[in-house]
Amino acid sequence: MTRPTRRRSAVLSGLAALLVLAGCGGDDSAVGEETAPSSDWDAVLAEADGQSVNWYMYGGDDTLNAFVDDVVTPRLADLGVTLDQVRIDDTAEAVNKVLGEKQAGRTDGGSVDAIWINGENFATGVQADLWRCGWSQDLPNAQYVDLDAPEVATDFGTPVDGCEAAWQQANSALVYDSAVLDDADVESVDSLFAWAEANPGRLAYPAPPDFFGSMAVRTVLYDTIGGPDSLLEGEPDTSSEAFTDATAATFERLNEIEPSLWRGGETYPQSQDDIEKLYSDGEISAFFTYGPGAVGTKVADGLYPESTREAVPSVGNISNVSFVTIPANAAHQAGALVLANVLQEPEVQLALFEAAGVYPAIDVATTPQGVQDAFAAVETSPSVLPLAELLADARPELASAYLSAIEDGWVAEVQQK
Amino acid sequence: MSQPVVSTGPTTRQHAVRRGVPERLRPLLLLSPALLVVGVFFVGGVAQAVLQSLGRQPFLGQTDWSFDAYRATFADPAFRASLTLTLRVVVLSTGLATVLGVAVALLVRRHARGPLTTLLQSTLAVPHLVGALCIGLLLSPSGFASRLGTGAGLVDGPQDFPVLTNDAFGWGIIAEYTWKEAPFVAVVALASMTPHVRDLEGAARVLGAGRWRRFTSVTLPLIAPPVAAASVLVASFAAASYEVPRLLGQSFPATLPVVALQRYQDTDLLVRPQAMAVATIIAVLSLVLVAAYLTLVSRLSRRSL
Amino acid sequence: MNGRWGGRLGVGLLVAAVLLPVLPLVVWSAAGTWRYPDVVPGRLTRRGLDLVLDGEVVSATATSLLIAVTVAALACAIGLSAGRAIGLYRFRGRRLVQFLLLAPVIVPGLAVTLGIQVFFVRYGLADTVLGVVLVQLMPTVPYAATLLGAAYANLDVDYERQARTLGSGPLRTFLTVTVPLLRPALVTTALLTFLISWSEYILTLLIGGGQVTTLPLLLFAAIGSADRTAAAALGLLVVLPPVLIVLLVARRLRGRDDAWMGLARG
Repeated sequence: MTRPTRRRSAVLSGLAALLVLAGCGGDDSAVGEETAPSSDWDAVLAEADGQSVNWYMYGGDDTLNAFVDDVVTPRLADLGVTLDQVRIDDTAEAVNKVLGEKQAGRTDGGSVDAIWINGENFATGVQADLWRCGWSQDLPNAQYVDLDAPEVATDFGTPVDGCEAAWQQANSALVYDSAVLDDADVESVDSLFAWAEANPGRLAYPAPPDFFGSMAVRTVLYDTIGGPDSLLEGEPDTSSEAFTDATAATFERLNEIEPSLWRGGETYPQSQDDIEKLYSDGEISAFFTYGPGAVGTKVADGLYPESTREAVPSVGNISNVSFVTIPANAAHQAGALVLANVLQEPEVQLALFEAAGVYPAIDVATTPQGVQDAFAAVETSPSVLPLAELLADARPELASAYLSAIEDGWVAEVQQK
Repeated sequence: MSQPVVSTGPTTRQHAVRRGVPERLRPLLLLSPALLVVGVFFVGGVAQAVLQSLGRQPFLGQTDWSFDAYRATFADPAFRASLTLTLRVVVLSTGLATVLGVAVALLVRRHARGPLTTLLQSTLAVPHLVGALCIGLLLSPSGFASRLGTGAGLVDGPQDFPVLTNDAFGWGIIAEYTWKEAPFVAVVALASMTPHVRDLEGAARVLGAGRWRRFTSVTLPLIAPPVAAASVLVASFAAASYEVPRLLGQSFPATLPVVALQRYQDTDLLVRPQAMAVATIIAVLSLVLVAAYLTLVSRLSRRSL
Repeated sequence: MNGRWGGRLGVGLLVAAVLLPVLPLVVWSAAGTWRYPDVVPGRLTRRGLDLVLDGEVVSATATSLLIAVTVAALACAIGLSAGRAIGLYRFRGRRLVQFLLLAPVIVPGLAVTLGIQVFFVRYGLADTVLGVVLVQLMPTVPYAATLLGAAYANLDVDYERQARTLGSGPLRTFLTVTVPLLRPALVTTALLTFLISWSEYILTLLIGGGQVTTLPLLLFAAIGSADRTAAAALGLLVVLPPVLIVLLVARRLRGRDDAWMGLARG
């Protein structure tokens, strides 16, 4: 589950200046005149009727693709909106596309109407002034979203400012085969590494900047410095001593464990898909995921062994929210607004939880009683950690600037060594 | 319509048509659609890659020329690792495809030529994308070869099987190129083993030349130019194709085309000139190979005259 | 005797080497669960077949067909014109033209397309079928021109002259005399340019921007996913038409290495 964001948010101030110089920026007012304001929802619905929305999203998750086809597409069709799901490997591709259009002077009629996004990719777009902003609080279903909650109001440290609407929650967890590891092995990162050293080759994480690999590295970082708190205060500063010490200690631990990883760390899997293939082939026995809810389906389908279980090591789980954003040059902005609203509908969030085990981005307590009961009644697989246990120790994400620095640092200090 | 034209007969009418376009310009006119396509997309594309690599980004209003992109590219250890990998893949795939291709051609010529040629030609038709999938399913640690190895008691499990796909050396990429391109070299070599070649081999045999001698001093020199031309094609393809190294290689170090696309898709547009610099390096590498190919082909046609 | 057995062994090895990589593809396409280290799947499934008949794959097949047929038709039309110049005329700059027509066949499209993508975006051609067709002319037109140029070189122009002498107009002469004479080469060119377009991945990705979904794009995504059954089923769907086409034209091509040139690059 969970969108892969990734790749350098390397500051684009220079680029933004260039775009303005080239006369390509400053199109917001023109767009505003053409499309219905988000505050007039009837006008949005009227304009959206008949539109075809290109939704760029990570396409590697079949369960999620099926959910989009079975649940989201028909609801949009009822409103006269056709959904074209454009599946990409990496969210950066969509951001790059919008940037490319901006460079080429396409200030309207852009081909990307909506993107499933968060973190560095969102921050990159904010810096380059790519997104339409100030709309997400106007969505009728925003009433179910706790807009003041820190994980919804800021996205990996970047203020959301109504430029994107929440639709999924991700929590990290360790997936393991209980026939191979016991409870004590998954208690903490230290006990997991001790187990890996005793059983070489059976633990793996994908190479950052893969979104999941980056999370695995941050898990070790959080564990090394006792949680993210010291890095959450003030403006992110990648040259601060707190950060450089933390990463140096983290990379040292990762280099120490490397010989005990899959393939002795000579090579790292390229993606979470590769990790999941390794687990279903029985090559590895434990891996970190951002989508613990989806594991039940994999066990039911026979892809994962019955003895699959989940745990949150003592470091806690890393939790984030992912969003839908709308580029300012999108051709079908009204349709995209309708899409964002449909995704926040309580029934849709419920269906997503049922189909893919994805935790809701809305505050379930604010939904109608029937929906609350249905959420409570969703049967979870014995392989999946109960929600209460999972969320007991949730930790926020670091700022995007830190993520890029950690990923680049990992490549230089762990992979290339 | 005026009668005189008709009265002077059809040949004049043909002249009348010809007069519309002077004979000298006709080839140009006939070639113009093709040259338009090649000029706009190919020449334009190469020129744009070069310009953008020198810092001239269209629609961004930059006017400074600079070699920064090349400097940054060559200074990057990731690029140097990538260049080494690319050259290794090119040399090994081309070498293996050529040697195996010629060996296969010699074998096929002696045995069941028809069905085997068809088999080789079918392999040629397999898209590289499918080839990469096949090699992945065969050679990955839990692939078919590893399963066979376990069944035969040679391998203890996936961990025990050598890393042949997504590996640092590039074995998976080399395996795919060799599997796809050796049949190509074989088909070209077979086509060049004409009855004339056979006659000369027969003559050498009568003169007492042994099998190896006949091969090295009669067959090989005769088939060398077309085979060498085919190898050049294999090399330029191996240097510049994207799908196979993307699917069967690592993200670091990756071959040059993969690096070019990684840089191009970076969400920092300021990295784009570097993508163009890598693209230009690939294009130059390939164009050098095209020139080599043309030289070989012209030598071949002179020889056959 | 010894040599004969050695030869048989060699032939056996060759057939095995060519077919071995294809075997797991075929088996995976029907494999339900196939756990390591089983050599045969534990359970077979028709999920692969269902997937190939799924709406998304059917529509991608239609897009692939539309693009490949259009590209083949345009490449043949442009190639017929250029081939005439190459095959029948001696003119200054002929070598340069040959070089220009050869280079795009050899230099793979990635390096070139990166530079012009921004113009496709600027002029609204990115993300459209038209844009993809245009960019695919780059590898196919030179190839068609080269193949048809060779065919023109073997054409006996006296037939055309006779037709013209008998009063047939240029268009009529072309359609009733030239095209039938070139028909074998034309069919081969059409099939092979179709095949290049059918197999194309990177140009379609760069210009189609993920919105023009052809079969190779679906296949690429499937290979990256954890679902090997889906990838194998799609792989078979992508590979069958080219193999059938090559079996169809193989006899004609025997001994024509220039024709194989484009094929090696799929």
